[in-house]
Amino acid sequence: MATPLRIGTQLKGEGLAVLSLSGEVDVSNTPQVRDAALGLLSGGATKLVVDLSETTYMDSAGLGTLVGLLKRLKEAKGAMAIAGAAPRVQRLFEITNLNRIFSLYPDVAAAAKEVGS
Amino acid sequence: MKTVVPAQVELHIPRSCEFVRVARKTAGALAHQLQFTIHDVADIELAVSEACTNAVEHVSDDECSEVVVRFSADEEKLVMEVVDRGPGFDPSCVSSAETADGGVGGLGLLVIRSLMDELDITCDQKTGTCVRMTKYRKQP
Repeated sequence: MATPLRIGTQLKGEGLAVLSLSGEVDVSNTPQVRDAALGLLSGGATKLVVDLSETTYMDSAGLGTLVGLLKRLKEAKGAMAIAGAAPRVQRLFEITNLNRIFSLYPDVAAAAKEVGS
Repeated sequence: MKTVVPAQVELHIPRSCEFVRVARKTAGALAHQLQFTIHDVADIELAVSEACTNAVEHVSDDECSEVVVRFSADEEKLVMEVVDRGPGFDPSCVSSAETADGGVGGLGLLVIRSLMDELDITCDQKTGTCVRMTKYRKQP
C-alpha cells in the first residue's frame, strides 16, 4: 500500500490548474502524483500551481517528479509555481538548490498570479 | 524517561517502495526516543528514506528481496546503515542522471550529504551496498 496521500486537481480556466498534495509524498506515490498532473496538462492546463500547503513530508522522489513536470511545461511554453510549502519541505528545495529553479510562493493566490492567471 | 544507550535496532524490509515509509517512521521514532531535536529527527527520517529509496530503486528484482536498516546509538551519535544485496553504484555517476519520468536522479545522495554529519558508501559484489550515515547529538 502506497504512503497515504490525497491528491486534488482543479482546472481553473484560462489554462490554469492547481494540483494539491495533502499528506506525505515519497517514492511509493510519486507515480500517482505524476499521473494526476499529466491529466491536468492533457486537459489543457499550461500553467500549473502545485499546492504543498498540506504536504507534511516530501523527499527527492517527489522533487524529481516536480522537476519532470516543470520540464514538460517549459517545453510547452507553460509555467509552474509552488505554493505554501512548509519550512520542512521548503528546506528540501534549498538543500538541492531547486529553489533557484522553482518559484516558491506563500499561497495559491500568489503562485497563480505569478504564473499568469 | 531515561533513554537507554547504547541501543541497537535492526529492521528487515521487503525491497519495495511501499516499505520505505516503514523505515522512515522507525528512524523517526527511534531518533525521537533518543532525544534528538525535532529538527534532527526530521533530518534523520529524510536521510533514511532517501537511502532506502536508493536501495529499492537501483536493484533489480532478482538481485535482492530485502533491505536491511541498522540503527546503532550511543551517548554521542546515531549510526544508520542501509544495506542491500545490489551490485552497488558509483555515487559520482548519479549526481545528474535523469529518472524515467524526466526528473532528476542522484538528488537523494545530495540530500543525505547535506543532512548527515558523516556519509560512507561501500559497494561489494559479495555483500552488496551499504550506505552508512552518522548523526551526532547536538550538545546542549
